[in-house]
Amino acid sequence: MNNYPVNARTRSARTACAAITVLALISPWLPVKAAVDDAKTIIEESQRRTESKAERYEGLLKSFDAGGKVTEKQWIYQRLGSNGQSKSVIRFTAPAEVKGVALLIVNHPERASDQWMWTPAIERDRRIALQDRSTRFFGTDFSFEDLEERDVNQYDYTMLQEETIAGAPCWAIQSIPKQTKSSQYTKSTIWIRKDNYAYARVDFFIKDAVVRRLTYLDLRTINGIWTAHDLTMADLRRGSRTQLVLDKVQYNLPLKDDAFTLEAIRR
Amino acid sequence: MIELDQVTKRFDGRSQVTALTDVSLTINRGEMVAVVGPSGSGKSTFLNLVGALDRATSGVVRVDGEPLGGLSEDALTRLRRDKIGFIFQFFNLLPTLTCLENVALPLHLRGWSRKRVSARAGELLSLVGLADRMTHLPEELSGGQRQRVAIARALSIHPPILLADEPTGNLDSRTGTDILALLHDLHSTTGSTVVIVTHDDGVARSCERTISLRDGRVVEDTKNASRVDAVAAS
Amino acid sequence: MILLRLISWPYFRKHLLRTALTTAGIVLGVAVFVGMHTANQTVLLSFSQTVDRIAGKTQLQVSAGEAGFGEEVLDLVQSASTVRVGVPIIEVVVDSNIPGEGNLLVLGVDMTGDRSLRDYDLEGGGDAEIDDPLIFLAQPDSLILSKELADRHHIAVGSRLPLGTSGGQRTFTVRGIIKSTGLASAFGGNIAIMDIYAAQHMFGRGRTFDRIDIAMKPGVTLTDCQRELHALIGSGFDVQPPSGRGQQFESMLASYSLMVSISSAFALFIGMFIIYNSFSIAVTERRAEIGILRAIGATRGQIRWIFLGESAAIGLIGSVAGLAFGVLMARGIAFGIGALISDVYRVGQTVDAMAISPGLLALSLAIGVATSVVAAAIPAQNAARLDPIQALQKGRYHVLSAGESRVRIAAAAVLALFSAITLTVASTSRPLFYAGYLSAMLAALLLVPLLTLGLAKTFRPLLQWLRPVEGALAADSLIQAPRRTSASVAALMFSLALAVAFEGMGLSNYSSMVDWMDSVLNPDLFVLPSQSFDIRAARFPATMASEIAAVPGVDRVQMLRNGRTTFRGAPVMVIALEMSSIAQTIHRRPVAGEAGDMYRRAAAGEGLVLSDNFAELQHLRLGDQVEIAAPYGVIRLPVVGILVDYSDQQGAIMIDRTLFIKYWHDDSVNMFRVYTRPDADALAVRTHLLERFAGQRQVFVLTNAELKTYILGVLGQWFRLTSIQIGVAVLVAILGIINTLTVSIKDRRRELGVLRVVGALHWQVRRTIWIEALSVGAFGLILGSALGALNLYYVLQIVHRDVTGMRLAYQFPLMTVVALVPTIIVAALVAALWPAESAVRGSLVEALAYE
Repeated sequence: MNNYPVNARTRSARTACAAITVLALISPWLPVKAAVDDAKTIIEESQRRTESKAERYEGLLKSFDAGGKVTEKQWIYQRLGSNGQSKSVIRFTAPAEVKGVALLIVNHPERASDQWMWTPAIERDRRIALQDRSTRFFGTDFSFEDLEERDVNQYDYTMLQEETIAGAPCWAIQSIPKQTKSSQYTKSTIWIRKDNYAYARVDFFIKDAVVRRLTYLDLRTINGIWTAHDLTMADLRRGSRTQLVLDKVQYNLPLKDDAFTLEAIRR
Repeated sequence: MIELDQVTKRFDGRSQVTALTDVSLTINRGEMVAVVGPSGSGKSTFLNLVGALDRATSGVVRVDGEPLGGLSEDALTRLRRDKIGFIFQFFNLLPTLTCLENVALPLHLRGWSRKRVSARAGELLSLVGLADRMTHLPEELSGGQRQRVAIARALSIHPPILLADEPTGNLDSRTGTDILALLHDLHSTTGSTVVIVTHDDGVARSCERTISLRDGRVVEDTKNASRVDAVAAS
Repeated sequence: MILLRLISWPYFRKHLLRTALTTAGIVLGVAVFVGMHTANQTVLLSFSQTVDRIAGKTQLQVSAGEAGFGEEVLDLVQSASTVRVGVPIIEVVVDSNIPGEGNLLVLGVDMTGDRSLRDYDLEGGGDAEIDDPLIFLAQPDSLILSKELADRHHIAVGSRLPLGTSGGQRTFTVRGIIKSTGLASAFGGNIAIMDIYAAQHMFGRGRTFDRIDIAMKPGVTLTDCQRELHALIGSGFDVQPPSGRGQQFESMLASYSLMVSISSAFALFIGMFIIYNSFSIAVTERRAEIGILRAIGATRGQIRWIFLGESAAIGLIGSVAGLAFGVLMARGIAFGIGALISDVYRVGQTVDAMAISPGLLALSLAIGVATSVVAAAIPAQNAARLDPIQALQKGRYHVLSAGESRVRIAAAAVLALFSAITLTVASTSRPLFYAGYLSAMLAALLLVPLLTLGLAKTFRPLLQWLRPVEGALAADSLIQAPRRTSASVAALMFSLALAVAFEGMGLSNYSSMVDWMDSVLNPDLFVLPSQSFDIRAARFPATMASEIAAVPGVDRVQMLRNGRTTFRGAPVMVIALEMSSIAQTIHRRPVAGEAGDMYRRAAAGEGLVLSDNFAELQHLRLGDQVEIAAPYGVIRLPVVGILVDYSDQQGAIMIDRTLFIKYWHDDSVNMFRVYTRPDADALAVRTHLLERFAGQRQVFVLTNAELKTYILGVLGQWFRLTSIQIGVAVLVAILGIINTLTVSIKDRRRELGVLRVVGALHWQVRRTIWIEALSVGAFGLILGSALGALNLYYVLQIVHRDVTGMRLAYQFPLMTVVALVPTIIVAALVAALWPAESAVRGSLVEALAYE
């Protein structure tokens, strides 16, 4: 559980599709370490409560650009395994142009995950390489970094204050990367609900300005896990936002290992 | 033949110089006239105006009854080549042309046929006594011979007027006498009007008429008693 | 300095026109120098920028000539321990189908791959606008266009764009626009980016890449990485820094660069003449002044200094003006070259920024001043040597002394002998060859005054016969002052000799090419995948051969595959042919080897056939063992024949098709050579062919005549460039003639006066000036043609030895010389306009007066 490698290369090597995993998990998964202080303990507890062995949901991704244009995509997400050893498949179902496009993500505990993409129009699978972490994920308002699994030990946490977000009392915790170069952000503020340890909001800062805001809404318990069914990332500089709406979320369902292979996604 | 009516010539430069002032005179057909005067008296200017080489500042110059003032450059040239033969102190032969070619020059310029040109030029060179020098270049000749070539060239078109600017000025006296005699011969045989600008009294005395210029004005205009005597005396 | 101001300035001011003309000599020389070199640099820079932009941060590139290679190579490359990043690239040139835009370079890049090598950011919003990256990847018809191109034709995201591909016309959808910086500014914006896998699919590339761009791990040297990669993937691959492509491009431009160097050397030479001429005249004219200066105590050194100072001042002013003109000129030339290159080499090069190098400008300035000073050195020396008393005497001093003539003849003879020796005895040594060239030119230079004199004397009777007075006097004027005349004649001679040589080179090229085409390009029809037959990236599958053969009227089909690779680091074209079939259709005698044996062994895959220029450049002979590294092994075969072949400037290696398939794993076809049945009409067969493939794939069928016309059209570009040289010659003619006449008229003032006194009309005086001008032009033309004949020989030798290795048949451009006659006549008349006027103006009295 706590054998997740703590090295810069692996961290920075987190990729697009791994990030989707995280999105699906609603809040970043992290190994639980001995409590150093209150803030860190809260973060670790929050991580612990979202663990599951398998997951499936149907996602609806809506992008709203600054001009008010909306594009939608739908996918089915499946994950098998947990922590550093999960595999997941995302298969797009709509719109027609992207229907059948599939992503396979294989996470490794000791190194960066491998990802492949299948494009049915040219009947071709391809490996997806590691990306610059500040680039946007497939045109959404998430950057690759936003979607990374985060190692709790790479940040210093400070309890700021207690605050109510959308009617729920939260802890506001400031997180600052220990190595400033490792992140595009200078710092971020995480709001965690006191009642169920679920994430409520994250503000990402560059210098002293908030540049992105991730909001977790429509919290429901599925199989005992508090799951936000509406995640919205707003890019405050571009004036655009991306909303991910989850539907039919299931945890710990029986999924087969051979569905998470290159051969399987070539269907 | 030549008429000057109140002719004035000024040169405009930094300081204005008046070379001729109010000169009026007539030279009749067939006259042989000497124009004399010290240097700067205006005699060269006189010759240039009469020879249609230059234009008067005011007054009228008539050659053969034709006023020059209104003529174009080319018309002046035509007048020169039809009516005036020039003889210069320094001969002004073209050094690269043979004697025959030099004499033929004005004829060619008038567009005569080659045959006619060479016949005429040969004839003229014989006339001036240089029949045996036709293919020589000017530099191969003596001064007197050169002047004879120049005279032959001046005569080539049978000009009614012959203008000579110090024709003996660059020659020794013996040769000068020969040239002068030649001019007299030609004058008597062709009946041309001859105007000689000179500062040589002997030359002047040999002419029928002497016009003296000083400071741009005619100070004396005399007919000489006997030109034959004068020639003999010189 | 004070001397310059007191003595020189009034003279210049008095002779404003002549000073201007003298300065113009340097302006011309420097302008051509700067113009040609800047243009050349600009083209090279713009190419290397293109390479850089496309290469991004690439340190090394792996390629297999132009043939492409299998995808598995990528894994090998990426597995190399010295490689940090390796990304695959496909480059495809397609017909944009947009009027006026021509071709479009489509760059297939791995959109999901590592982007750290290239400075574009497709999703960052800053540089590019991609509507939806996922749709972009999911749809193979997705294309990103440069903003420049999109703006030019009002193309927006979502627009459909039909492009000509090997598989026929395909419609693409613009799903992104990339800002015109970095990558997208290459090729003047005629660039599009695709996903590499979509490109493979759309352009029928199978699972191949053209190139892998590499960034190395920190601390690794180029050689380390090259060595490791060669060990991993085999020596058949080129592993070179991107600038290596620039070097190859440079070698492609070699014959053009050669022209530039020779041109600018000649231009400076000519400028030197004009200066020399003017100063010689000035020294003559200012004898009295020099005499007075010497009499009042000026030293020889001071006199020399005055003239050298003047020339330096003129050189400086002229050079500065020359720089300005040169840069302007460069712009024009660069566009011309850009067009030439994109026609000849299919690089699609456009010039977007001038490469004005401060170094070059400074050098030009220095060269301009130096040329001017050197040119004035002899006149200045003459001035300094003048005896004060002699100087005060009057007269003309243009005449050549018998002694000087003897010295000139002797020196010329020695130089001519030397150059003759270098051509025959010591012809293998390159420095000796160029020294011989130089001495041949110097010999010509030394002889110009004597030749001018001789010509003038020869022409005199003719001129006199034409116009007894004007003709004779014009000839005499030339005879009297050979020095005055000969400098202009020499300047004109050199510029015409250059024009003649370049034109001759073009013509020789042309006629050699025609001969070659007549023997080799004898099929009735050529089937090509692209309108531009040089686009080697577009190819047909081999299976098409039988489909073509089945078309009614087709008698024989030959498959041709060609691709550029490198041999000992130099680019070379590999041409894969069906040798046994070729042996039956092409009948020509090899330069080395016996035809029957050559084709038999080549067809059996037991030997290679080389083009003669390649053999020449690489010093290969019949029987030599040649190694060609290919992606799937190294071909080691003997040379079994050498043929005259103009397929490629850098040379060609012809092999049997089976070898190509074996060593490149590529059986595609660049061109089908189709012979029709004797009873079939070629045009009808063409129609059948087009119908057969209509809607299936893009097919262009050219008839024999069309292909030849196309090739010759490309060659025609060369002729267009030589017209610049002719323009320079005309300018030189005008400048030189004006200069000569101005002085001539001054010298002959009295003579012209006498002429007018004895009855020459204005037009008669003008005519003698015109005849003089025409004579100078004619002499220049005669001597220029003669020297041009020699110069052409040398230029062809240089091409043969050092540039393309092609042995071009010597072909004197007689028609050009004939065409130059009216050109030079007009130039001479134009040049004589003003001097002739000044000869008839002016006071007769003053002309006749004695100073």
